[in-house]
Amino acid sequence: MGRKDEILLDMRGISKSYPGVQALAEADFSVRRGEIHGVVGKNGAGKSTLMGVLMGIRQADSGSIAIDGSALRHASPQTMLDAGISYVPQHINLLNTLTVAENILVGNLPKNRFGLVDWKAVNDDSAARLKRLGLKLDVRQPVEGLSVAERTMLAIAKALFNKARLIILDEPTAALSRVDIDLLFSFVRAQREQGVAFIYISHHLEEVFEICDRVTVMRDGRIVGTREISEIDVPDLIHMMVGGGVQEYQRETTAGTETVFEAKSLSRRGAYEQINFALRRGEVVGLSGLQGSGVDELAQALFGLERLGVGEVLVDGGVFDPDSPRDAFDGGVAYLPQDRHRFGLIQLRPVRENVTYSVLDRLVSRLGVLMRKPEQQITETYIDKLGIVTPGAEQRTMLLSGGNQQKVVFAKLAATQPKVLILHEPTQGVDVQAKVDIFNIINDLASQGVALLVISSEVRELIGLCDRILVMYQGRVTDEFTRAADNMKPEDILLAIEGGSGYAKA
Amino acid sequence: MQRLDRHHLLEFLSRHFIWVVLIATVLVFGLTIDGYLRISNITNILITGSVLGVMVIGQALCLMARKLDLSAEGTVSLVAVTAAWLMLPYRETDLAQAGGLGIELDPLIVIPLILLLGTVIGFVNGFMIMKLNMNFFIVTLAMQLVLRGLALAISSGAIMPGTPAAFNWLGGGRVAGIPVSVIATIGLYAVFGFVMSRMQFGRKVYAVGGNEDAARASGFSPARTVILVYMVSGFLAALAGWMLLGRLEASVPNLGVGITLNVVAAAVIGGVSLKGGEGSIIGAFAGVLFLAMVNNALNLMNVDPLWVNAVRGLIILVALVIDAQKSRYRGRAGPAEPKVTTGAEPNQKPALS
Repeated sequence: MGRKDEILLDMRGISKSYPGVQALAEADFSVRRGEIHGVVGKNGAGKSTLMGVLMGIRQADSGSIAIDGSALRHASPQTMLDAGISYVPQHINLLNTLTVAENILVGNLPKNRFGLVDWKAVNDDSAARLKRLGLKLDVRQPVEGLSVAERTMLAIAKALFNKARLIILDEPTAALSRVDIDLLFSFVRAQREQGVAFIYISHHLEEVFEICDRVTVMRDGRIVGTREISEIDVPDLIHMMVGGGVQEYQRETTAGTETVFEAKSLSRRGAYEQINFALRRGEVVGLSGLQGSGVDELAQALFGLERLGVGEVLVDGGVFDPDSPRDAFDGGVAYLPQDRHRFGLIQLRPVRENVTYSVLDRLVSRLGVLMRKPEQQITETYIDKLGIVTPGAEQRTMLLSGGNQQKVVFAKLAATQPKVLILHEPTQGVDVQAKVDIFNIINDLASQGVALLVISSEVRELIGLCDRILVMYQGRVTDEFTRAADNMKPEDILLAIEGGSGYAKA
Repeated sequence: MQRLDRHHLLEFLSRHFIWVVLIATVLVFGLTIDGYLRISNITNILITGSVLGVMVIGQALCLMARKLDLSAEGTVSLVAVTAAWLMLPYRETDLAQAGGLGIELDPLIVIPLILLLGTVIGFVNGFMIMKLNMNFFIVTLAMQLVLRGLALAISSGAIMPGTPAAFNWLGGGRVAGIPVSVIATIGLYAVFGFVMSRMQFGRKVYAVGGNEDAARASGFSPARTVILVYMVSGFLAALAGWMLLGRLEASVPNLGVGITLNVVAAAVIGGVSLKGGEGSIIGAFAGVLFLAMVNNALNLMNVDPLWVNAVRGLIILVALVIDAQKSRYRGRAGPAEPKVTTGAEPNQKPALS
C-alpha cells in the first residue's frame, strides 16, 4: 500500500480512427494505484479500442501514455506487459488439461538433478505462491475442473506472478452466479489492498457500483466523464451513457386479434419443456432467459436448424414442422440469428446477393436464369426502406458497419414476407442510431401484420418494444408480463429471468 | 459511410490483375521469343491449354464452394483407360502395349458411358464429404489413388494405342482449321461463365463457399449444392480425359499425373480464391491462358527440363502469395470496431443498461 492515490496510468489525448469511423477522439483516461476503475459504455462506445491501445495491440493515431510518470515511447504488446499491464478476457485462456500448478509455472517448471521436472517442487512452489495471494485452490487439480470464477482468479493470480500492476478485467462476471461473484470480488478487493489497480469493464451497472472506486463513461469514442462512485447514482450513470438527446423508445401497439402462431406443449429433452404460447397478427412479444434456459434452442428449432421435439406448432392454423430453414421460410417463419457473422451474412458477397438469397426461387425464369430487373428492384427497395447506408448494391457486405449489416439481414428476411419473424438479439453490436432504425423496422413490420418474437437480454429495450414479455427459466416459460396489465417492470423481469419469481410462485 | 480510395484501387486491381499480367506476358514473350506469335504457335498454346482449361472449370467451381477436387486427375486417367479398353480389339499384352477387352464398343456408346462414370465419381466424392461429413482433402486424395490404381490395373500399366477416329474428333479434329478441342473449351467457358454469374446454381455455389452456415440459414441446401459441384467437376474431368485420349490416340499409363497442381494454380492465378466464395470463370480462363503461354515459352526457350518444374512451382507460389495477401488485406478492411470486443457477448446475463 502506502502510495495510494498516486496516478499509475495516464493516457492523454488518445485518438484512433478506422476508415469512416472515429473510434477514439482525444480520450483522457487515468487510473490510480490501488483502485478499481469501472469503464462503461454501450457497444461501440470505444471501450475495446481504448483497451486495445492500452494493451499495445492497437496503435493510437495520436496521444501519449505514461505509466508511473514515465512516458512510453513505443506501445507494443510486449512493452505493455513489461510495464505491468495485464488483460484477463471474458473467456479465460488457460491450458485446460494441465493442473493449476503447471499453469502457474508453465515455461519455467523446476527441474531435479536428472533434468526431469521436479513435481514436488512444482506443487509446493505454486501452492506457496497462491497462499501468498490468499487463493485457496488445489494445485494438483486440472484447470478444466475449476469453476469459471476460480479460473478467473487463477488468471489474475498468474498476471500478478508476472508482476502485473494494472489488470484489465473484461466482463468477468458474465457467466457467474451470485455466490461466485462474491468470491471473485473479495479476491479482487484483497489484491486492491496490496496496491494492484484494476480496470473493470462491465455492462452490469449494479456490479460497477458494488466494486468500483471510480467509473469512466464512454460514448461515441469519447470520454464523457470520470466520477467517484460515491458521487453518482444509476440514473445519472445511464444518463451519461445514453447522452441527453436519446429518449427511450416507446412503441404503440399494433396487435390484432387473429392468432397466427401457436406452440402447443412443445418439449425437447434437455432443451425445453411444455412450451405454450401464441402470437397474434401484428403483435410484438419479447422472450428473455439466461443461457441454458432453452431460449436459444427454441429459436433454432423454430427455424428448422434443430429438431422441434414433441408437441405441435401451428402457423396460420397449419401444422409447422420445419426440417430446414427453407421449410421454415416456406412455412412463413423467418429468423434473425444472434450471430450474424456466422449465420446471417455472406460477407464476401455484395449487398444485392445477400438481400435476395432467401427469395431466389422467385427471381428465376423457368430455366433457372436469374432475372436482373426484379432482383435490382427488390434490393433497391430494401436499401431505401430500411435506410441501409452503402455506396451501392454491389458493395461487399463485409465493408458495411454493424448496424447496416444487421439491416441487410432484416432485408433478406423481410423479402420472404414472413407471417412470423423471430429476432435473436437484434440490436447487439450496433450503434445507437442503427438501434433506433431497427426499432422502427420492427414497428413497420408489426404494423404490416407480421407477428414478431423478439429474443433479447436488453430488458429495457423489450419493455419499450413489446406488447408482452415472456420469461424462460430452466426450459420452461415461467412468467409473462404484459403492457395491458401494466406489470412490465424491469426489476421484476430481471428477477424472473434469474429464476426469482419462479421460486416465489412454487 | 465513406471508404478509402485505396480500397477501391486494391479491389479493382485484385479483380483484374490477371489481365494486366496476361497482356504483359504476351508483350514480353512476343518481343523476345522468335515465332512466339505465329499462328501455328498460338494454335499450339490453345490446344495444350484446352485440356487444362476444361479441368480448371471444374476445379474453379470446387474452389468457389471452398472445396478442392484432388481426384480429378485420377478421373482423367481412369476414363481414358476405360474408354480405350472398351473400344479396342483384344490382343495379348506384351511389355509395351496392351489391347482392349475385345468387345469393341462404338464410340457413341463409350462417350456417354465415360461421362457418366466421371459424374458418378463426383457424386461419390460429394456424398462422402457432405453427407458422411468427411474431409474433402482426404476424400478426394484417396479417391485419386483408387482411380489411378484402377486405371493401372485395367491397362496392366501398358499403352493402349489406336483409338477410333470418331472418338478422337474432340481431341484431334479440326473445323475450318480450328481445333475442335479449342472450340469446345471456349464454348464450355461461355456456358459456365453464364451459369456462375447469371443462374441460381452459381449464386448458391458462391454463397456456400462464402459461408456454409449462413447459406443454410438463407434457405439453401449446402449438401445439394456441393454434391452438384463435385458432379460437374467429375463430368468435366471425364470430358478432359476424352479430349486428352483423343489427342494422343492412345491411352498412356499415368495420364494426367501431377496436372492437379497446374489446374489449381491456373484457377488461383485467375483470381479464384482458395478461401472460397469468390472468383470468376472468365478470370480462371485468363489464368489458363497465362499458364499455357508460360509453359509454351519455357519449351521454346529450351529451358533445361530439369529447371522447368522449379519455374512452374515458383509461379504457383507467387499466385498463392497474392491470394493470401488479398484476404489478409480484406480482413483489415472490415468494419471499424476491432474484433477484440469488450461488448456484450452472446447470452450474457440481462442488463439494465
